[in-house]
Amino acid sequence: MMPMIHTPLVTLSEAKGLATIARQALAVVRFFASLRMTLFATLLFVSASSFAQVSVTATVDRNRIAFGESLTFTITAHGTQTAPSVSIPKVDGLAFAGPAVNTSMSIVNGAVSQSVGLAYQVTPSRTGEFVIPAIEVKVGNQLHRTAPIKIVVEKMSTPTDLSQQVVLRVQTASQQVYLGQIAPLNVLIFARADVPLKGFSAYNCEADGLGYKYIPNIRTATHVQDGVSYNVFIIEGVIAPTRTGKLSFGPCVVKGQLAVERRGRPVDIFERFFGREEIREVPFTMDAVPIEVLPLPTEGRPADFSGAVGQWNLEVTAKPFEVNVGDPITLTIKVSGAGNIDLVPPPTLSGLDEFKTYDPTTKTTKNDLNSEGERVIQQVLVPKSAGVKRLPDVRLCYFDPVAKQYKTATHPPLQINVKPGAGGHATIVSGGLRLRPEEKLGHDIVYLKGSPGPVALVFPPTAFWALNLVPVFALLGAMAWKRRSDKLRSDIAFARRSRAARNARKLLATASTPDTLQHALQTYLGDHFNIPSAGITAAIVEERGLPATVREVFEACDAARFAGVPLDVAAVKQKVEQVIDELENASS
Amino acid sequence: MSWKTLPPEVANRIAQCSYAAPPACGRGGVAVAAPLCRGVHFPRGDRLVRRGGAPQLPRLQAFLICALAVFLALPVLADDFKTANALYDAGRFAEAAALYERITPKSAGVYFNLGNAWFRQDKLGLAILNYERARRLAPRDPDILANLKFAQQRLGVDEVNQPPQALRRFWLNAVRSRTVVEWAWLEIGTLWLTLLAVAGCVWLPRWRTVCSATAATTTCAWVVVTVALLWQATAPPEAIVVATKAQARFAPLPEATAHFSVTEGTRLRVREDRGQWVLVERADGQQGWVPRDAVANVDL
Repeated sequence: MMPMIHTPLVTLSEAKGLATIARQALAVVRFFASLRMTLFATLLFVSASSFAQVSVTATVDRNRIAFGESLTFTITAHGTQTAPSVSIPKVDGLAFAGPAVNTSMSIVNGAVSQSVGLAYQVTPSRTGEFVIPAIEVKVGNQLHRTAPIKIVVEKMSTPTDLSQQVVLRVQTASQQVYLGQIAPLNVLIFARADVPLKGFSAYNCEADGLGYKYIPNIRTATHVQDGVSYNVFIIEGVIAPTRTGKLSFGPCVVKGQLAVERRGRPVDIFERFFGREEIREVPFTMDAVPIEVLPLPTEGRPADFSGAVGQWNLEVTAKPFEVNVGDPITLTIKVSGAGNIDLVPPPTLSGLDEFKTYDPTTKTTKNDLNSEGERVIQQVLVPKSAGVKRLPDVRLCYFDPVAKQYKTATHPPLQINVKPGAGGHATIVSGGLRLRPEEKLGHDIVYLKGSPGPVALVFPPTAFWALNLVPVFALLGAMAWKRRSDKLRSDIAFARRSRAARNARKLLATASTPDTLQHALQTYLGDHFNIPSAGITAAIVEERGLPATVREVFEACDAARFAGVPLDVAAVKQKVEQVIDELENASS
Repeated sequence: MSWKTLPPEVANRIAQCSYAAPPACGRGGVAVAAPLCRGVHFPRGDRLVRRGGAPQLPRLQAFLICALAVFLALPVLADDFKTANALYDAGRFAEAAALYERITPKSAGVYFNLGNAWFRQDKLGLAILNYERARRLAPRDPDILANLKFAQQRLGVDEVNQPPQALRRFWLNAVRSRTVVEWAWLEIGTLWLTLLAVAGCVWLPRWRTVCSATAATTTCAWVVVTVALLWQATAPPEAIVVATKAQARFAPLPEATAHFSVTEGTRLRVREDRGQWVLVERADGQQGWVPRDAVANVDL
């Protein structure tokens, strides 16, 4: 098990964002420094170097290499921009080249952090185990000392297997848990700092019977072991066993996203310009870890124990302390602590006989993993007599899995002063809830009606259909009439033809001379064919294919007008009528 | 005033109406049943036909006779009604029920009080039957609805009488909240409004937008109201189980396999009437044959 770690409470994505911000800030600072123009930058450096805590570490990028390879040994002074003064001791079999000086600076939430690193190229001259001893580093006037680092140089090439560079471990307080307990269980992913791990795409753990829950947001940290720097990704979770026995947590698989260099020549200009990196998913696995789930012990179990497991605190308050008989007192009980709050029953109240009680109200809050919670119980108590001097005492019995024993949280009874009074029936408790004595209402049928009420009405079908159809037909008729009116106004030919017979018959009724008879016929034909009536002669018979009666009328009238032939007015009228009827029938 | 004082012609006409025949007046048309017209229906022809092929009357004449009879019988109704109420108050529920039964035409109040009289005699099936009849005449009367619900709850049939589907339950309650006459007037009203709105679109071009919206709205309302009217006018007759318990069987035979049990107060739809047996359908859709004397028709 790797030891633990200090570190920031940021998720992976947040850490990436902060790193980006820091890089941008550093670029700005470098720009200002190179131009030596900005007072701000100077002040920033001065203030940062003045107030920062300086520490020194020594790391190697690998502590196991093959003969012929080199490793990088870095001495980093944190909290300063002043290059440390270092004297590298001679180590038999190791050659140190350098140093290359690297400075870095970052600003996180307004806090400036800076460091100076001296990187040495270390090349072994033989195989075997080497120790880079503790090195004294002078930063300003302070003297620091690094930790010794062990290095192994082998004949064979070092394994480049990712399984040795990325390791999964379980972190838990104990591998023995109790049924009903909620125990924290974190999965730690140690990735060597030089592993280009960009993130994680999937995570799965087998935890049958353990009720495993975890927070999807991954915390990050750094860790140095044996001089090797690791990035640590922490998956926080809990187990809440649902059955007893020897169970196992795992195996677990987490898919990491590695940035790898693509092989071969660059395909296009974009690859040349932006690089040839691609993301590849690599699964990392962890073997199962045994977890033993124990039943709650029967020895020492109190009689009033009802299943609460955890570490719980009890707070009790009441309001008011001075009441009349029949007035309510609200007893507020707050249970808080670590454990499964859902399994915590309402605490036991003793001495309730002196009070009238109502159903309590509860409000429960808990964290995402349900590992910590709080329950507030409000119990209304109404003292029955003036002799009541104190409220019931409150007890909560629970099993403490850390202490591995049953405990009882108690609160001494609160003193109250109950005065004799009329004893209210309508009472008001805190929160505005109004309680009334339960009223039992009677149930029976409604009494007789005093008047007979409505009898059935008959709706005659004739009337129903008439009321339905009359408006429909009325509307249809009105619309047809409107359409005809509109056409008469807009279509002259239609208007003349529509009125032709009526106008002609009016003229015919008063006609008594050849001129008026001919005029009536001309008027009709003009209106009917929508042509000027004055110019109509007997020639229209051939032009329009009219009956011969028309010609006969014209000829009779002409003979009477110009040759003095007597005219049979009635016969001519009849012929004109006949012409009108024939043409109207033909057109309709 | 009693029946003997009525004009002989009117009394005879009333006597000709069958009190036991189930279908409502107006089936096949849209007319509404009246107590005086029980057993009489309006076919699509021109003449009023009494059930059983009896002599025919012109429809308008029959309607006028019924209306006149109602008018002349009202004082009788009021006298007997008060007497029956007095008997009820005296605790003589059986006599009160008998007197309520004699009152004709029966109003919603008469059916309601008759239901109460049966209720007091612990005949809850008959009580529910008369509350249902009262509800047909006054569907939104809170007293009637309360007593009906109370009696159904007493027998434990309030759930059985409701369709299991929420939408169907909502629709049936909506349809039953109006009488057929009220639905008919609503249908006529929405139709007239629709036609007026259409006319407004034609003759009032300035108001065309408003009139179009009104026409669309009233058309939708007319469709809904018409469907409700047709639903209520053409729905199969309803019956209430008045026997304490009965078996609905797969066939109209005493030895046929029992399909399900119906308890007193259960509301059923009568799908087929074969004299001694009727094919009924429960609210959940289950069908079976029950003896005729185990159920009584609600339809007036």
